[in-house]
Amino acid sequence: MRNRLTPYLFLSPALLYAAIFFLLPLGLALTLAFTNFQAFAPHHFVGLHNFSYLLTRDPFFLTTVRNTLVFAVGSLALAIPLSLLVAYTISRSRFKAFWRCIFWLPMATNVVAVAFEWKFLLDGPTGLVNHLLDLLHLPGPGWLSNPHLALLSVILVFVWMTLGSNMLLLSAGLESLDESTFEAARIDGANAVQIFTRIALPLLRPTLLFVMTTDLIIGLSSFPLMLVMTEGGPAQSTTVTALYMYQMAFTDLRLGRASAAAFILFLLIFAITMVQLRLLRKGGLEGYA
Amino acid sequence: MRPSAEVAIFPGEDVGVSPHASAPVALRGRRPPRITGGLLKYVFLSLGAVVMVVPFVDMLLGSLRTVPERLARPPIYLPAHPQWQNFIRVFHDLPMAQWLTNSVMVTTSITIIQLLTSSAAGYALAKFRFRGRDLILRCILGAQMFPFFLFLIPMFFILRFWPFAGGNSWLGQGGAGFLSSYAGLILPFAVSWYGIFMMRQFMVSIPDDLLDAARVDGASELRIFFTVVLPLARTALATLSIFVFIYQWNEVIWSMTATRIAPKLQTVPVGIFLMRQAFTDERTFSLQQASLVVSVIPVLILFLFLQRYYVRGVTAGAVKG
Repeated sequence: MRNRLTPYLFLSPALLYAAIFFLLPLGLALTLAFTNFQAFAPHHFVGLHNFSYLLTRDPFFLTTVRNTLVFAVGSLALAIPLSLLVAYTISRSRFKAFWRCIFWLPMATNVVAVAFEWKFLLDGPTGLVNHLLDLLHLPGPGWLSNPHLALLSVILVFVWMTLGSNMLLLSAGLESLDESTFEAARIDGANAVQIFTRIALPLLRPTLLFVMTTDLIIGLSSFPLMLVMTEGGPAQSTTVTALYMYQMAFTDLRLGRASAAAFILFLLIFAITMVQLRLLRKGGLEGYA
Repeated sequence: MRPSAEVAIFPGEDVGVSPHASAPVALRGRRPPRITGGLLKYVFLSLGAVVMVVPFVDMLLGSLRTVPERLARPPIYLPAHPQWQNFIRVFHDLPMAQWLTNSVMVTTSITIIQLLTSSAAGYALAKFRFRGRDLILRCILGAQMFPFFLFLIPMFFILRFWPFAGGNSWLGQGGAGFLSSYAGLILPFAVSWYGIFMMRQFMVSIPDDLLDAARVDGASELRIFFTVVLPLARTALATLSIFVFIYQWNEVIWSMTATRIAPKLQTVPVGIFLMRQAFTDERTFSLQQASLVVSVIPVLILFLFLQRYYVRGVTAGAVKG
């Protein structure tokens, strides 16, 4: 009897946590999404009204979904090739630990400091970025004040920030490849580009897909950078859905509607992840459960 | 692909910062680098390094500039008389000491609690056969896919209206619940699905015979856990602790949400973020950058010393290639 209960004893904190801080909030969030709950007003069940409002009548919601997709896909499209290039170059250089350390620095830093600092660097008249462009006699745009550029600026900062973790995961994948394969190819007369595209890339596929999946989830649900750098502006151009939900909940106190927004975004992420996981399974999901 | 037990547990071991770096990696280093390709490589890496480091340098230089230097056009980058007193002002003019205390308390508590809960659950999942084990493991992997924003609103209410906590009645009315104390910042992070998975991956490799021998000797299960399992898992525990510490030190969204009721509990990043209105005057920019430096320095130093463990924490959950 004692032996049969032992594992449950060790698991009890996690199970208790799962009940109170995972299942209960999930149920609560779903329930809230069907009410018109606002902080201090009476509330009642409104059915699917929140969902239909957001999807058909809300002036910003669909824009935020578009921004979210642009942000997630844009940063993925920039981050994957760049971090792969960095990881591959470092794996073929001396002082690997030194280079890796430099590229990880932003990961050890809080997003508030990163966002504020980049706000200073990208600031129109006093910022370093435009000052450097000025020295090259190039016109420096208002990186964060131009609605057409703000989302791109945030994407670039996000890529800067997450480059280290991507590079790290890809490095781990690269290092686990067998060097003798590369040697054989080299003896057969393959050049560096051929080795990279024909041998390293296909072998790295599982790692690449793993990185892409986690990156996409993070990209679709991330909002602290926008909250600190632009607060969603200018003209809603950097309001992603998660940020919109946050502001709806804790600035406007429209908690029911915000819960519905959170669920719509979650369903979107879930659908995209499922598609990616299918690809992952085809790519051979080794050692993962 | 090299099948090896240590790679399966910690792919990070192979990142090359480890003394156990595998033979092919070492050979690669000894190959004489070709001149042109070699140079190009280091030019590329150096350029990248500059882009990575410049914001930190600018942060430090900016914090040391005087007001006229800060407002000059074009900007002056090297301060003639470094204003080190800006760092004293950060503690004098802002509740920085309080923020730091809160950050240390909350982050340390979360780290210790997560080490315990993760290793206990990881141990059960790695070393016992019981009903529902595989289901639980699959749920833990699945739970990681739920983004945190989904829990923000309900978590706020659960902690705010928790019965009998922080002056609340049994109906959860009257007080501020757990949100009036550190508990509100700690409880949502008491368990990490990632931590459990990571510890489980490590503990699979602990030999069963060792545990059985202790059982034969009459040790209780809890005693085995604390005196046999935990010491064996100390590398994994070190990895997890540094990983959790850095992550939690930098956490801002939940801390900001939870401290809406009790501003005294604000952590460093929350404090800096919420001070932004007081900082809109250009003359305070140096002070603002000084506070960014203060928020970054402690964990950056920790990171530089312990980055090897940090690397393992990041890669432990990843697939191997």
